[in-house]
Amino acid sequence: MDFGRSTRKDTFIPTSSMGDIAFLLLIFFMVTTIFREETGLPVELPRAEAGEEVNRELVSNIYINKFGQISVDDRLVQVKHITDIFGKKISDNPQLIVAFKTDTNTDFGTVSEVMEELKEVNAVRVFFNNDVESNPGKKY
Amino acid sequence: MAIMKKKKKEPLGELRMDSTADVAFLLLIFFIVTTIFAAEQGLTLVLPGKQKDNTDTAKVKQSNIATLYVDENNFITLDRKSIEINHIKQAISDRLLANPKLVVVLKIHPDADYGLMVACLDELRLANANKVSLKTAEE
Repeated sequence: MDFGRSTRKDTFIPTSSMGDIAFLLLIFFMVTTIFREETGLPVELPRAEAGEEVNRELVSNIYINKFGQISVDDRLVQVKHITDIFGKKISDNPQLIVAFKTDTNTDFGTVSEVMEELKEVNAVRVFFNNDVESNPGKKY
Repeated sequence: MAIMKKKKKEPLGELRMDSTADVAFLLLIFFIVTTIFAAEQGLTLVLPGKQKDNTDTAKVKQSNIATLYVDENNFITLDRKSIEINHIKQAISDRLLANPKLVVVLKIHPDADYGLMVACLDELRLANANKVSLKTAEE
Protein backbone atom coordinates (compact mmCIF):
# COMPACT_ATOMS: atom_id res chain seq x y z
CA MET A 1 0.00 0.00 0.00
CA ASP A 2 2.21 2.71 -1.23
CA PHE A 3 -0.15 5.67 -0.76
CA GLY A 4 2.69 8.03 -0.40
CA ARG A 5 3.79 7.44 -3.88
CA SER A 6 4.46 10.67 -5.53
CA THR A 7 2.31 11.23 -8.57
CA ARG A 8 2.85 14.97 -8.69
CA LYS A 9 3.87 16.38 -11.97
CA ASP A 10 5.14 19.80 -12.75
CA THR A 11 1.94 21.60 -13.69
CA PHE A 12 1.86 25.16 -14.80
CA ILE A 13 -0.68 27.53 -16.24
CA PRO A 14 0.60 29.32 -19.30
CA THR A 15 0.51 33.01 -18.49
CA SER A 16 2.12 34.32 -21.59
CA SER A 17 -1.22 35.22 -23.19
CA MET A 18 -2.66 37.01 -20.15
CA GLY A 19 -1.54 40.32 -21.54
CA ASP A 20 -3.34 39.68 -24.80
CA ILE A 21 -6.53 38.80 -22.97
CA ALA A 22 -6.28 41.92 -20.83
CA PHE A 23 -5.83 44.05 -23.91
CA LEU A 24 -8.73 42.42 -25.68
CA LEU A 25 -10.93 43.15 -22.67
CA LEU A 26 -9.64 46.72 -22.51
CA ILE A 27 -10.35 47.30 -26.17
CA PHE A 28 -13.76 45.68 -25.89
CA PHE A 29 -14.82 47.98 -23.06
CA MET A 30 -13.29 51.03 -24.72
CA VAL A 31 -15.26 50.39 -27.86
CA THR A 32 -18.56 49.57 -26.19
CA THR A 33 -18.54 52.37 -23.58
CA ILE A 34 -20.92 55.21 -24.31
CA PHE A 35 -20.61 58.29 -22.17
CA ARG A 36 -23.88 59.76 -21.07
CA GLU A 37 -24.00 63.00 -22.89
CA GLU A 38 -26.54 65.71 -23.35
CA THR A 39 -27.03 66.83 -26.91
CA GLY A 40 -28.82 70.04 -26.06
CA LEU A 41 -29.13 72.66 -28.75
CA PRO A 42 -26.45 74.02 -31.04
CA VAL A 43 -25.26 77.26 -29.51
CA GLU A 44 -22.45 79.67 -30.07
CA LEU A 45 -21.27 80.52 -26.60
CA PRO A 46 -20.31 84.10 -25.82
CA ARG A 47 -16.71 85.03 -25.42
CA ALA A 48 -15.32 85.99 -22.02
CA GLU A 49 -11.89 85.99 -20.49
CA ALA A 50 -12.57 85.64 -16.79
CA GLY A 51 -13.56 82.06 -16.30
CA GLU A 52 -14.17 79.70 -13.45
CA GLU A 53 -14.67 76.00 -13.49
CA VAL A 54 -17.34 74.25 -11.51
CA ASN A 55 -17.85 70.74 -10.31
CA ARG A 56 -19.65 69.00 -13.14
CA GLU A 57 -21.62 66.79 -10.81
CA LEU A 58 -23.47 69.78 -9.41
CA VAL A 59 -24.32 71.23 -12.78
CA SER A 60 -27.59 71.05 -14.64
CA ASN A 61 -27.68 72.62 -18.08
CA ILE A 62 -30.18 74.90 -19.74
CA TYR A 63 -29.59 75.34 -23.44
CA ILE A 64 -31.10 78.38 -25.10
CA ASN A 65 -30.50 78.96 -28.80
CA LYS A 66 -30.74 82.20 -30.69
CA PHE A 67 -34.38 81.58 -31.55
CA GLY A 68 -35.24 81.47 -27.87
CA GLN A 69 -35.88 77.73 -27.73
CA ILE A 70 -35.09 76.25 -24.35
CA SER A 71 -33.83 72.72 -23.77
CA VAL A 72 -33.45 70.99 -20.43
CA ASP A 73 -32.33 67.36 -20.22
CA ASP A 74 -32.67 67.07 -24.00
CA ARG A 75 -36.29 68.13 -23.96
CA LEU A 76 -37.64 71.35 -25.38
CA VAL A 77 -39.48 73.15 -22.62
CA GLN A 78 -41.45 76.32 -22.10
CA VAL A 79 -40.40 79.00 -19.63
CA LYS A 80 -43.37 78.19 -17.40
CA HIS A 81 -42.14 74.60 -16.94
CA ILE A 82 -38.79 75.69 -15.56
CA THR A 83 -40.13 76.06 -12.02
CA ASP A 84 -41.43 72.48 -11.96
CA ILE A 85 -38.30 70.95 -13.43
CA PHE A 86 -35.84 72.87 -11.31
CA GLY A 87 -37.98 72.76 -8.20
CA LYS A 88 -37.60 68.99 -8.34
CA LYS A 89 -33.91 69.18 -9.08
CA ILE A 90 -33.17 71.64 -6.30
CA SER A 91 -34.97 69.52 -3.73
CA ASP A 92 -32.84 66.55 -4.80
CA ASN A 93 -29.66 68.57 -4.66
CA PRO A 94 -29.71 71.94 -2.90
CA GLN A 95 -26.16 72.59 -4.10
CA LEU A 96 -27.31 72.58 -7.70
CA ILE A 97 -25.67 74.98 -10.13
CA VAL A 98 -27.70 75.92 -13.16
CA ALA A 99 -25.49 76.39 -16.21
CA PHE A 100 -26.75 78.58 -19.01
CA LYS A 101 -25.48 77.43 -22.35
CA THR A 102 -26.95 80.26 -24.25
CA ASP A 103 -26.21 81.53 -27.72
CA THR A 104 -24.50 84.87 -27.77
CA ASN A 105 -27.21 86.33 -30.04
CA THR A 106 -30.13 85.36 -27.82
CA ASP A 107 -32.21 88.21 -26.43
CA PHE A 108 -31.42 88.81 -22.79
CA GLY A 109 -35.14 88.88 -22.07
CA THR A 110 -35.44 85.10 -22.55
CA VAL A 111 -32.56 84.44 -20.17
CA SER A 112 -34.04 86.91 -17.73
CA GLU A 113 -37.42 85.13 -17.76
CA VAL A 114 -35.73 81.82 -17.04
CA MET A 115 -33.76 83.37 -14.20
CA GLU A 116 -36.95 84.79 -12.69
CA GLU A 117 -38.39 81.27 -12.69
CA LEU A 118 -35.24 79.94 -11.05
CA LYS A 119 -35.47 82.56 -8.33
CA GLU A 120 -38.97 81.29 -7.57
CA VAL A 121 -37.62 77.87 -6.62
CA ASN A 122 -34.45 79.23 -5.00
CA ALA A 123 -32.14 77.78 -7.62
CA VAL A 124 -29.88 80.75 -7.13
CA ARG A 125 -26.48 79.49 -8.15
CA VAL A 126 -26.17 80.14 -11.83
CA PHE A 127 -23.32 79.76 -14.23
CA PHE A 128 -22.96 81.37 -17.62
CA ASN A 129 -20.95 79.12 -19.87
CA ASN A 130 -18.55 80.90 -22.09
CA ASP A 131 -15.87 80.08 -24.55
CA VAL A 132 -12.43 81.54 -24.14
CA GLU A 133 -11.42 80.72 -27.67
CA SER A 134 -14.41 81.83 -29.73
CA ASN A 135 -14.10 85.00 -31.79
CA PRO A 136 -10.53 85.82 -30.78
CA GLY A 137 -9.84 89.51 -30.63
CA LYS A 138 -13.48 90.44 -30.66
CA LYS A 139 -14.88 91.49 -27.33
CA TYR A 140 -18.47 90.76 -28.02
CA MET B 1 29.11 26.80 -53.84
CA ALA B 2 29.81 25.96 -50.29
CA ILE B 3 28.93 29.49 -49.23
CA MET B 4 25.47 29.35 -50.81
CA LYS B 5 24.63 26.13 -49.07
CA LYS B 6 25.48 27.64 -45.72
CA LYS B 7 23.12 30.59 -46.30
CA LYS B 8 20.13 28.41 -47.07
CA LYS B 9 20.43 26.58 -43.81
CA GLU B 10 20.14 29.73 -41.66
CA PRO B 11 16.84 29.93 -39.74
CA LEU B 12 14.37 32.68 -40.58
CA GLY B 13 14.86 35.82 -38.46
CA GLU B 14 12.25 36.11 -35.72
CA LEU B 15 10.72 39.37 -34.50
CA ARG B 16 11.00 39.64 -30.75
CA MET B 17 7.54 40.05 -29.31
CA ASP B 18 8.27 39.92 -25.59
CA SER B 19 8.56 43.68 -25.16
CA THR B 20 5.46 44.72 -27.09
CA ALA B 21 3.38 44.62 -23.90
CA ASP B 22 5.81 46.98 -22.21
CA VAL B 23 5.65 49.35 -25.14
CA ALA B 24 1.86 49.20 -25.15
CA PHE B 25 1.75 49.96 -21.44
CA LEU B 26 4.11 52.87 -21.83
CA LEU B 27 1.83 54.29 -24.52
CA LEU B 28 -1.23 53.68 -22.37
CA ILE B 29 0.32 55.42 -19.36
CA PHE B 30 1.50 58.29 -21.54
CA PHE B 31 -2.00 58.92 -22.85
CA ILE B 32 -3.63 58.50 -19.42
CA VAL B 33 -1.29 61.11 -17.97
CA THR B 34 -1.55 63.61 -20.81
CA THR B 35 -5.31 63.43 -21.38
CA ILE B 36 -7.20 66.47 -20.18
CA PHE B 37 -10.96 66.34 -20.32
CA ALA B 38 -12.47 69.47 -21.78
CA ALA B 39 -13.44 71.55 -18.79
CA GLU B 40 -16.34 73.94 -18.98
CA GLN B 41 -15.60 77.54 -18.34
CA GLY B 42 -17.99 80.22 -17.32
CA LEU B 43 -18.98 82.98 -14.98
CA THR B 44 -20.73 82.22 -11.73
CA LEU B 45 -23.39 84.40 -10.22
CA VAL B 46 -25.65 83.98 -7.23
CA LEU B 47 -29.17 85.21 -7.78
CA PRO B 48 -31.05 86.92 -4.92
CA GLY B 49 -33.59 84.09 -4.54
CA LYS B 50 -37.16 84.36 -3.45
CA GLN B 51 -37.73 87.17 -1.02
CA LYS B 52 -40.13 86.42 1.78
CA ASP B 53 -40.41 89.98 2.95
CA ASN B 54 -38.68 93.28 2.62
CA THR B 55 -36.24 92.58 5.46
CA ASP B 56 -34.26 90.30 3.15
CA THR B 57 -33.41 93.08 0.78
CA ALA B 58 -30.23 94.99 1.43
CA LYS B 59 -30.33 98.72 1.13
CA VAL B 60 -27.41 100.37 -0.58
CA LYS B 61 -26.65 104.06 -0.51
CA GLN B 62 -27.12 105.78 -3.83
CA SER B 63 -23.53 107.03 -3.72
CA ASN B 64 -22.24 103.45 -3.61
CA ILE B 65 -24.05 102.38 -6.75
CA ALA B 66 -22.68 102.35 -10.25
CA THR B 67 -25.25 101.56 -12.91
CA LEU B 68 -24.12 99.91 -16.09
CA TYR B 69 -26.97 99.97 -18.54
CA VAL B 70 -27.24 98.12 -21.83
CA ASP B 71 -30.15 99.31 -23.97
CA GLU B 72 -32.11 97.56 -26.72
CA ASN B 73 -29.60 98.70 -29.37
CA ASN B 74 -26.71 97.11 -27.46
CA PHE B 75 -25.55 100.54 -26.42
CA ILE B 76 -23.74 100.71 -23.10
CA THR B 77 -23.85 103.54 -20.59
CA LEU B 78 -22.17 103.82 -17.21
CA ASP B 79 -24.12 106.21 -15.00
CA ARG B 80 -25.76 107.72 -18.07
CA LYS B 81 -22.45 108.32 -19.79
CA SER B 82 -21.74 106.36 -22.93
CA ILE B 83 -18.88 103.86 -22.61
CA GLU B 84 -17.12 101.38 -24.85
CA ILE B 85 -17.06 97.75 -23.77
CA ASN B 86 -13.24 97.69 -23.58
CA HIS B 87 -13.20 100.67 -21.21
CA ILE B 88 -15.55 99.21 -18.60
CA LYS B 89 -12.81 97.34 -16.78
CA GLN B 90 -10.67 100.44 -16.30
CA ALA B 91 -13.60 102.66 -15.34
CA ILE B 92 -14.91 100.22 -12.75
CA SER B 93 -11.42 99.55 -11.35
CA ASP B 94 -10.95 103.28 -10.84
CA ARG B 95 -14.28 103.64 -9.13
CA LEU B 96 -13.63 100.63 -6.92
CA LEU B 97 -10.32 102.14 -5.89
CA ALA B 98 -12.08 105.37 -4.94
CA ASN B 99 -14.93 103.55 -3.20
CA PRO B 100 -14.40 99.92 -2.16
CA LYS B 101 -18.05 99.63 -1.12
CA LEU B 102 -19.16 100.09 -4.70
CA VAL B 103 -22.03 97.94 -5.90
CA VAL B 104 -22.41 97.58 -9.63
CA VAL B 105 -25.92 97.26 -10.97
CA LEU B 106 -25.90 95.63 -14.37
CA LYS B 107 -29.14 96.64 -15.99
CA ILE B 108 -29.92 94.96 -19.26
CA HIS B 109 -32.77 95.65 -21.62
CA PRO B 110 -34.69 92.47 -22.59
CA ASP B 111 -33.94 93.05 -26.27
CA ALA B 112 -30.21 93.38 -25.75
CA ASP B 113 -27.99 90.47 -26.72
CA TYR B 114 -27.10 87.88 -24.12
CA GLY B 115 -23.51 87.92 -25.38
CA LEU B 116 -23.16 91.54 -24.41
CA MET B 117 -24.45 90.83 -20.93
CA VAL B 118 -21.80 88.12 -20.52
CA ALA B 119 -19.15 90.47 -21.93
CA CYS B 120 -20.12 93.14 -19.37
CA LEU B 121 -20.14 90.63 -16.55
CA ASP B 122 -16.74 89.44 -17.73
CA GLU B 123 -15.35 92.98 -17.64
CA LEU B 124 -16.71 93.42 -14.12
CA ARG B 125 -15.05 90.18 -13.04
CA LEU B 126 -11.77 91.30 -14.56
CA ALA B 127 -12.10 94.57 -12.65
CA ASN B 128 -12.59 92.55 -9.43
CA ALA B 129 -16.03 93.95 -8.85
CA ASN B 130 -17.58 91.26 -6.69
CA LYS B 131 -20.76 93.01 -5.69
CA VAL B 132 -22.75 92.80 -8.87
CA SER B 133 -26.49 92.94 -9.13
CA LEU B 134 -28.14 91.80 -12.35
CA LYS B 135 -31.30 93.61 -13.24
CA THR B 136 -33.62 93.47 -16.19
CA ALA B 137 -34.74 96.85 -17.47
CA GLU B 138 -38.44 97.35 -18.09
CA GLU B 139 -39.50 97.52 -21.67
